[in-house]
Amino acid sequence: MTVTPSADGRRLRPVVALLAAHWESKTEEGWITRQVAGALAWVADVHVITPEGSTAGTSTDSVFTLHRMATPIEPAAELRRDLLIEGLSETGACGDVPGSPELSSLLDQGLVGPWGDASDILSALQPDLAVIAGHQDVGALNAVDRHDPGLPVTLLALGADADSIAFPHFASVFARADTVLAVTESERLAIVEHHGRPDAARRIGAPLSANPSALSEPNGWVGDTGYLLVLTGVDSEDEEHPEYELSRVLRLSFPDRPVGITHTDAFCAWHGGRLNEGWPIERSSDLARLMAWARVTVDLRPGRLFARRCVDSLLYGTPIVVPADSRAREHAQRGRGGLWFENPAELAWCVESLLEPPTHDTISAQGLSYAEEEYGSTDRFVDRVTEACGLTPAAAPVAVTT
Amino acid sequence: MGQPALDPEEVLERLKAEHRTLFWEPLQPNTIRRTKDNEQARNRGSLEFLHHHWALPDHFDPSVAGGGLRGKIFTLFGRLTYRVLGPYLRQERDLLAHMVRVNEALERRCDELTLRCQQLNQDFLDRQVDEARNLAELALWLHLEPPAATAATSAATAGRHGKVGADQEDAASAP
Repeated sequence: MTVTPSADGRRLRPVVALLAAHWESKTEEGWITRQVAGALAWVADVHVITPEGSTAGTSTDSVFTLHRMATPIEPAAELRRDLLIEGLSETGACGDVPGSPELSSLLDQGLVGPWGDASDILSALQPDLAVIAGHQDVGALNAVDRHDPGLPVTLLALGADADSIAFPHFASVFARADTVLAVTESERLAIVEHHGRPDAARRIGAPLSANPSALSEPNGWVGDTGYLLVLTGVDSEDEEHPEYELSRVLRLSFPDRPVGITHTDAFCAWHGGRLNEGWPIERSSDLARLMAWARVTVDLRPGRLFARRCVDSLLYGTPIVVPADSRAREHAQRGRGGLWFENPAELAWCVESLLEPPTHDTISAQGLSYAEEEYGSTDRFVDRVTEACGLTPAAAPVAVTT
Repeated sequence: MGQPALDPEEVLERLKAEHRTLFWEPLQPNTIRRTKDNEQARNRGSLEFLHHHWALPDHFDPSVAGGGLRGKIFTLFGRLTYRVLGPYLRQERDLLAHMVRVNEALERRCDELTLRCQQLNQDFLDRQVDEARNLAELALWLHLEPPAATAATSAATAGRHGKVGADQEDAASAP
């Protein structure tokens, strides 16, 4: 990559502009966006441009320079877009949905306008590379093209939804990007299937690590007796919800084994039909302790982008059981770190199989090896991101003085 | 690294093959059909008409006869006719009144029986749903649990009961 000298002719490092609709860490998408920005910060000056904020301005956020435009995107606009995609995908294959100006206008309503000032910020920054976080951010791409139609663009796809990846309206974002970053292999394959260019789509994984302190003390409610950990996303009294039903099937199927079930409002530890109820698991360190001491982790609602909790579990050597139609299946199938189910009976068989010592030990070792190789190294993550963006440390520019 | 590698897909295939015998599952009853109001026997329109029109006239109205000699003759003749037919008209009026009351009672009873039938039907359906659900759980339980686990559960239940009994005994023997 050629580094553009600044006005005074001095630019020691390349400048990267990262355009993100949301700048937070609560979701998997937000977390990986920050990790990618952090990886780029090793070799470049990273400027984050976001419509968020109550007042427009520039500030420093860790190693990043944050440009807030104070034109936040309304949640209702994103919800409308997601509902449209969901609804149209129900009518058939998303790739066959004919595009029309009316549909495009409806999809972009309230989502493009907030990026109006981004091109001015880009013009002031004169970046060497633009990174767009999210393949649905047509507004961000428009801002980049208004600034410089020839500026190299890297797309962090954030393709949690296969229907959205296939949606023709976003094809222009994929086509414009020189490189497309995917977190998992299944996301990368979905992108290649619908937009081609297998060389441009790169899998970057994520930087995760096991917290050694999690192994120092087990969770007091469920103990350390080889329990079954069930992660749900439902209330402990929502008995009609399928996730609750599945957790109940597991509890009834393994009456002799302690079962810990995380609900949104409580943590339920079952010992031989007796219930100990504790506070909900909200801190990541508490969840880590639970996964570190569990015999098997069953994640009934894994993260939609790359199922971070499942990778964490594998990093502690705890095999996983996940829904077959989830992104977490990749970790079980490609990583050989667990099993996946399509119905309640299969769920019980899978757990029963993984509780057997020989199967458990082998799958545990395989999953740990996979998680450490693909997700367990920050250095490798930085290398993958910088290399994909053409910003390898070896190719980092020397001082430009002319 | 003495452990041979395990392919999860092969493990799943093996599991499915081992459990291939379980194809039976209880039938879920069809969607419960909720009762509509118009399915009741009650038809208030006709009954209201009966209530308002059962009382036939029991005397002659002179205003319908008109004036003059012709009117006086008609009035005289009309009063005579009603006086002669009076006992019969009163009996007929009583008969009609009783028929209306009987109709009202029948209508009320029909509605009660209809509602009762619907409630019974609903009870049957609810029971069927509960039994189907129970059978599904039993099937899953029998399929997944060898007898030992069931025995363990029974023992645990018995243990809990025993604990309760012991507590009660303690409470009874307390001063």
